[in-house]
Amino acid sequence: MRIKGLIFVAVITALVFLASWISIDSYIESEIEYQASIANGAVVEIDGFELSLVDLKIRWDRLQIANPENTWENSFETGEAELDFLFWPTLWERVIIEDIIFKDFRLDSERETDGYFEMPVNEDGEGPEPSFIAGVIGDVTSEVSANAETEFLDIKADVNVDSLLAKLNLQAPEKIDSLKHGLEQKYSKWDSTLSNTDINQEIAGIKETIEAIDVKNLKQVDKALAAIQNVQKLTKQVDSLKNKAQTIRNDFQEDFGDARFSVGRIDNWIKNDYDRALKLAKLPTIDAQNIAQTLFGQELFSEYAGYLEYAAIAREYSSKLTGGEDEEKIERFEGKDYKFSDKYEWPSLWIQNIDLSGETKTNIQLAGKITNISSDQSKTKEPIKFDLGGQDDANRSMNLTGEFNYLEEEPRETIRFEYAGFGLAGTKLSPSELLPYELVEGTGEIAAEVNIIDRRIDSEIQYQNKGLKFDFGENPSDGRVQQLIRDAVSSADQINVTALVDNVDGPLKIRIRSNIDNLFVDALKSTVSREVEQARARIENEVQQRIGDRKEELLAFKDEKEAEIRQEYDKLEAKVNEQLQIIEQKKEELEKRKKEIEEELKNKAADELRKRIGF
Amino acid sequence: MLILLKYIAKLLKALSSEASPAQIAGGFVLGMIIGLTPIMSIHNLLIVILIIILKVNAGMAILSFLIFSGIAYLADPVFHNFGIWLLEKENLQITWTSMYNNEFWAITKFYNTVVLGSFLIAVALCIPMFPITQLGVVQYRKHIHEKVMKTKAMKWLKGTKLYTIYNTYQRVRG
Repeated sequence: MRIKGLIFVAVITALVFLASWISIDSYIESEIEYQASIANGAVVEIDGFELSLVDLKIRWDRLQIANPENTWENSFETGEAELDFLFWPTLWERVIIEDIIFKDFRLDSERETDGYFEMPVNEDGEGPEPSFIAGVIGDVTSEVSANAETEFLDIKADVNVDSLLAKLNLQAPEKIDSLKHGLEQKYSKWDSTLSNTDINQEIAGIKETIEAIDVKNLKQVDKALAAIQNVQKLTKQVDSLKNKAQTIRNDFQEDFGDARFSVGRIDNWIKNDYDRALKLAKLPTIDAQNIAQTLFGQELFSEYAGYLEYAAIAREYSSKLTGGEDEEKIERFEGKDYKFSDKYEWPSLWIQNIDLSGETKTNIQLAGKITNISSDQSKTKEPIKFDLGGQDDANRSMNLTGEFNYLEEEPRETIRFEYAGFGLAGTKLSPSELLPYELVEGTGEIAAEVNIIDRRIDSEIQYQNKGLKFDFGENPSDGRVQQLIRDAVSSADQINVTALVDNVDGPLKIRIRSNIDNLFVDALKSTVSREVEQARARIENEVQQRIGDRKEELLAFKDEKEAEIRQEYDKLEAKVNEQLQIIEQKKEELEKRKKEIEEELKNKAADELRKRIGF
Repeated sequence: MLILLKYIAKLLKALSSEASPAQIAGGFVLGMIIGLTPIMSIHNLLIVILIIILKVNAGMAILSFLIFSGIAYLADPVFHNFGIWLLEKENLQITWTSMYNNEFWAITKFYNTVVLGSFLIAVALCIPMFPITQLGVVQYRKHIHEKVMKTKAMKWLKGTKLYTIYNTYQRVRG
């Protein structure tokens, strides 16, 4: 045995302990601050951190969690805190904390320094895929920004029909003009066809030929027969002319049919212009949803998005930490660990119990517990639960309970929040311009419940205000809608609003209802709706006025030109028919003359025979 | 550099006549265990303490550690498979489970295939390696030491300034 060696080992051991003693606190403090800041997205600061390996305790003087949305504010901070942790799990790189006591817990406290934290660059360079809850928050936020306030404000100003139509650039007049031009060309073509047709010339030729046949002077049968044959040829020629005329008629009637169809579309073009004008004027459809959402949507949905963000953070970190643990990857010299029992089945981090006490920004004394915060609930077999509550001397009370449960395949989050008895005197009920009056009296109560199971969400926020008395002041209301809302709220001493966000029956639905919706709607419909209808009528009149003349002119032009063409055709047809009659007449005359000649010849022959016989 | 030189000199001295063959063989097998098993294991801390406390030759332990670290790299799959075979053996399951549930044994990480496999192979190798090394030292002293001291490398080493300084330091220190 080497005595010197023994002393050397003892000295080295003592030095290692001493070095650890001196440096371990600051090392662990900076490591926790760094990792927690990454998780929070803003600085997490711990002051006065101490680690005691003898009695297995960690304590600090102050913990500040900066708000990532406003880095000059803390989401919360605690005063002195002390926690116990288990020794054995630390040898397996697991941190199991049995109890933490947070005293002087304060929400939304101001910071002395900026809590901005430069996030390390993600190695794969890709941002995380937006989660389901983040998607719902996005939908709710866009619903807030797309509320009906703008449209109601538009009603307050008169709709300037002239400037609207100038912006609109009506399309119907141009289309009508273009149609008229097309019809002009068509009618001109038919004018030209009817006046330049060779039917007229052929008729003149036939007429001349007919007139040249002198029936009375025909003395011989063969000449009469030749004339008859000639007339028969003329009959065929006129029949052909008649067919030709008929074809012309069919063609222009077809064209007239096309023209009739085109003219029939004018009404559609006008309607389209009118619809576009209405769209540009943004004339709203007034219902209760617009009003409730305008007045209360922004505030309620902002609160709601806040609750959801907590659930989103819990779900994101739960999946992130669970997914990264215990991956089986056998490196050289690493080997594979076998598990013979679940004795060391601890998550990386498990805070079994947090006792909180402190106050809110509004000075309500809060106390409660958060239990089983862990990086892997499948190992702790316990969901995260929180139950905080408190009240003050003025009977204002606040309660927050809930559960983040990731034990089963489908993640579940439940949050219930109640804030009751808060005074409304000196505040405004809505940030909307439509309800700008401060309250002189009144108390409020908010109750919210959010249930999320995997990708199904069912949530409700109830906002109840009682004993309301508004300070309307001396000044008249700014605009009709504001006046109507003023009338409605002054007649009710209680306003209840319910916001519903769910996708239980299909796509996400975001709705707000209020007990004074009907009052608003009745009043609005009787006045604002009338104004809207007047604006509609003005737009319609203006559109009709600008387009109507063109339509009438076109119709008149069309009728006139078609009548002219028909008249021309009728003349032509009459000429052809006349020639047919003349030819028929001539034919009959010739037939008659032929018979006369034949009779004369017969008689002559009989006379000659009698003479020769001497009869 | 001076420390390395110190251990080389000590090793040569020990090999020549100063240390007993058992001390040299002890250093050799303890260094071998550290070299063959994962270095950051709790048992290696105990072996280092043993090297310091026991009268074994530290220079030989370092030399042995360096040699067997290289061998361990090549033999890692053998250790791993041997560890799997042992840890999955039916009739050992009760033993493993009771050891696993005991924090002391759990700290040793015996449940890791490479730790268990390499440690048991190293311990088993100690049985032949200890007498072989002893015999080797005796044979070295008898037949090889003289020749080694006459090699150019040794002459060069003795001629270096550092070696002179070290010798002076040793003489002054007595």
